[in-house]
Amino acid sequence: MPDSRKFLHPEAIKRIARLDLRARHIVEGFLSGMHRSPYFGQSIEFRQHREYTFGDDPRYIDWKVWAKQDRYCVKQFEEDTNLRGTLLVDVSGSMRYGRGAMNKYEYACTIAASLGYLLLRQQDAVGCVSFDERVRMTVPLRTRRNHLESVLQALEVSSPREKTDMYPILREITETFPRRGMMMLISDLLSDREGLFRGLKLLRSRGHDVMVFHVLDDDELDFPFGGPTRFDGLESPDIVRCNPRALRDGYLKAMNDFLEEVRRGCTRNNVDYALLRTSQPLDAALAAYLSNRLGMHHKNRG
Amino acid sequence: MLPLVHPFTWALSLIAIPVVIHLINMMRHQRVEWAAMEFLLLSQKKHRTWVILKQLLLLLLRMLAIAGVVLALAQPLLPDRWGNFLGSQPTHHIVVLDDSFSMSDHWGDTTAFDRAKKVLERLGASVVHPQQPQSFTLLRLSHCGMFGEGTKPDFHKEKVDSEFAVRLTEKLQSMQVSETAAEPLPALEAVRQALSEDTGERRIVYFLSDFRARQWDKPDELKKRLLQLDESHAEIRLIDCVAGDASRPNLAITSLEPEEGIRAAGVRWRMQITVRNFGPTSVRNIPVYWSADGKAGPQVVIDEIPAGDTARQWFDVVFPTAGEHLLSAHLDADAVLADNVRHARIDLPVDVPVLLVDGEPAARDSKFVAWSLVPGGEVRTGVRAWIETPRYLALKPLDEFGAISVANVDRLDRSAIEALEKYVSAGGGLIFFVGPQTRSDFVNRELYRDGKGLFPVPLANPESLPVDTLDKTPDVQSGEHFIFRFLGNHRADHLSKILVKQYFTVSPDWIAKNDPSTRVIAQLRNRAPLLVEKSHGRGRVMAFLSTASPSWNNWASNSETVSFPVVVQEIVAYLSHRPSTGASYLVGEPIAVKLDPAKYQPTIHFAGPGGGPSATIDAAVDAPAKGASNQLAASFARTEKSGFYEALLTQTTGKGETRHYAVNVDPAEGDLKALAGAELAARLAPAVKYQFDYADSFETKIDETAGRNLGDLLIYLLIAALIGEQLLAWSLGYHPIGSNKASSRRAAPLMQGGAL
Repeated sequence: MPDSRKFLHPEAIKRIARLDLRARHIVEGFLSGMHRSPYFGQSIEFRQHREYTFGDDPRYIDWKVWAKQDRYCVKQFEEDTNLRGTLLVDVSGSMRYGRGAMNKYEYACTIAASLGYLLLRQQDAVGCVSFDERVRMTVPLRTRRNHLESVLQALEVSSPREKTDMYPILREITETFPRRGMMMLISDLLSDREGLFRGLKLLRSRGHDVMVFHVLDDDELDFPFGGPTRFDGLESPDIVRCNPRALRDGYLKAMNDFLEEVRRGCTRNNVDYALLRTSQPLDAALAAYLSNRLGMHHKNRG
Repeated sequence: MLPLVHPFTWALSLIAIPVVIHLINMMRHQRVEWAAMEFLLLSQKKHRTWVILKQLLLLLLRMLAIAGVVLALAQPLLPDRWGNFLGSQPTHHIVVLDDSFSMSDHWGDTTAFDRAKKVLERLGASVVHPQQPQSFTLLRLSHCGMFGEGTKPDFHKEKVDSEFAVRLTEKLQSMQVSETAAEPLPALEAVRQALSEDTGERRIVYFLSDFRARQWDKPDELKKRLLQLDESHAEIRLIDCVAGDASRPNLAITSLEPEEGIRAAGVRWRMQITVRNFGPTSVRNIPVYWSADGKAGPQVVIDEIPAGDTARQWFDVVFPTAGEHLLSAHLDADAVLADNVRHARIDLPVDVPVLLVDGEPAARDSKFVAWSLVPGGEVRTGVRAWIETPRYLALKPLDEFGAISVANVDRLDRSAIEALEKYVSAGGGLIFFVGPQTRSDFVNRELYRDGKGLFPVPLANPESLPVDTLDKTPDVQSGEHFIFRFLGNHRADHLSKILVKQYFTVSPDWIAKNDPSTRVIAQLRNRAPLLVEKSHGRGRVMAFLSTASPSWNNWASNSETVSFPVVVQEIVAYLSHRPSTGASYLVGEPIAVKLDPAKYQPTIHFAGPGGGPSATIDAAVDAPAKGASNQLAASFARTEKSGFYEALLTQTTGKGETRHYAVNVDPAEGDLKALAGAELAARLAPAVKYQFDYADSFETKIDETAGRNLGDLLIYLLIAALIGEQLLAWSLGYHPIGSNKASSRRAAPLMQGGAL
């Protein structure tokens, strides 16, 4: 999909100011590139057969069943039981970092909007929670097409704060969204890992499918700084004056340890995990989502 | 404190550059608001100490590298007490000073020798160091095996103390360039011998010279000696005192000697002077000044001498009295003065005795020869001739005769033949005239002896030259020869008047070109040889294959030509010419004097030229060895200057007598073509390890001789510091290409390794 993907790079998407248009552009561009893909239409999925009663749409009579069993059955679809996808978007201070086309916050918002648009386009219900040290905005689950606007408003948070422990936040979310659904956490996860894993475990225990979109900037992954530099903490008052070249190896080791810990934690809790660089094309999150849906479908069938 | 050359001292402040750069970078640091502080703080906590240490080390290495560059350029020395502390040896400075007369080459107000002395003065002052033992040897080339003195250094391992510089300066002030053409080889050999034993001292051999191409163009032996010095752990420093000026204009008188001819009192004869142009361009109109017995003669001019070529000029001289006469010639001043002068001593007899031996009692042939040589009247030829029978040859010594003529003899005694052979071998001149009494069998058997004897050709028979009235070819034909010089361009006219009736034929087996020692001077119309010349030993022999008298030809009695007496006189002049021996020496060569003990007392007083007290040297007779001739032999070796040396003799009767000896410089030394540093390197390097400097530039860095030069060590340290700096900088650095790959490699598994 090279032709379509080149329009999905952060540099290209950055030019579209409105988030809803961005989301539409990304999703439509993504889907147009995948129009032959098996993912298309997965939201209208077969669920079960039911005896035909008067008034049912004869289009849904399963003629294969009639041929085998000589009785009329209609197919029931997932449409009847809509997917509830909740976007948990981290809007804390640490998400404001980024020297590329988009910072982590912008990137997270864009993929949240894209996912929301995709879900709504497939008749699924979409909810959204933005949080930093606490839940800042909550948007309930809706399937209306214009519900995307509400989701986008929830993402616009000023005066971001430090996030310390994600457990209370995730616990609050489980209480807000008690029905089973898909929780899509979009964050840099730069917080207490223990709380994070406890929160994820809680979400899973409540029957949610959980996807973690781990958004990090290239600088955070590669640490390409040279020359004397002063690092001021975005979420902490710490200041480090150093020659970054000298600390690079130690930093990268710590970062890799962190990523490995997160990945293992997610795997342990049966949580899907995707690491996203802010320099990556924005369809990566959609691909990850659809891959997850397919996996879920297979899991359900199995 | 390290002694530094001043211009480099300030440069040490450059070591602050890395610190300044560091401070500037600190001031210009970038500010980043960073999210992942947790990992940064973790890394800093973990590596802080090691990072600071490495950064300090890097800073130190960079400062060291700059200091290393500065110090390597400054060529610092590790002197005195520091050197001793590190086990530095005492230093022996050996200076070999070229004082051959080419070092008197002057330009402006200085000479090559003056430059060498300045270098020496500076060197002497710089080696004075009270804490480190230093010794100094100064050896001049002219003091190595010359003047019969062996090697005589001016300083020999002289201990260098605070007064040394003064002593050296005093020595240098009295030091003059010699007039010798001293070679460097004996001096280097002397130094090699002196350094053959390893005394544990540091040795520096300085060779101050002009490096003339004459000696250094093919320096195989010199290279060998220098290599030997190198093996003796001596540091060799070659110092060029003429700044590599490859070819300088210089004229030199290469010879001053009499031309062939009869030299006697009252007779006019010619001196020949030869001048060589050693310069790169042709020289025109060169005046040559000469004097005889102290009286200046009219100057002669040489029209042109091409570059690198020689030219000759002659001047006539007449001395009314017999005995020693002193002649000198000189040129105008040029680059080197010593070779512009030439001296010659000429011994003039009252007349030249010529013995005429005739086999006929009437001596008709010899009388014609005698009349030609001594015509009588007021005409003075300088020749005294008398006629004797062949017996005279065996009875009397022949050495005194300038030339001998043997005419029309039928036979000679064996003793007479031996006497003649001895006479000719020693340089005498002999001419044979054949005649009716000449017997070819005797001549061939006793005198020709298959070419080993005196007679130039084997004879056959006397034959008549048939008269051909139709043939206008002259009876006698000749090529160019000294004996015809006065006939000049009229030689053929004069000789064409001669009619030859009879002559002795040469054996048909004899072919002139097969005998390189023999030359046919004149031949007959039928190409039969008439006058033949041969060299025998150091002397010359001629054979005239017809009679001297008008018996077989009309030459002597021909009224149409007077060429007979002229040619006979020239023949005698040619035969009586002796190479001048024993009267001229080169500077440095010992004057050899031989005396008859019956006539002279053994004590000889020699006096050098100049007349000053310092030039007068007493010399005793070395060894009154009695040779075959029963002569006393004496030798005077101290011929240090060119000029006339006097030997004051005392006869047994008590009467004093003075002999003069001309001593001249070796004109070859006047070739001033010198080798520049690169040319010298092409001949010596890389086999010979040496340091080459021009005198001027060496003066500025002469202080380095004061101690152990740390230049090389600093270069190695600098290289080590730079390598260390690069390695450390690499380990501390960020390398985007590698790291991007690494990070992408790291990132990829994370994407794949997730639960997706």
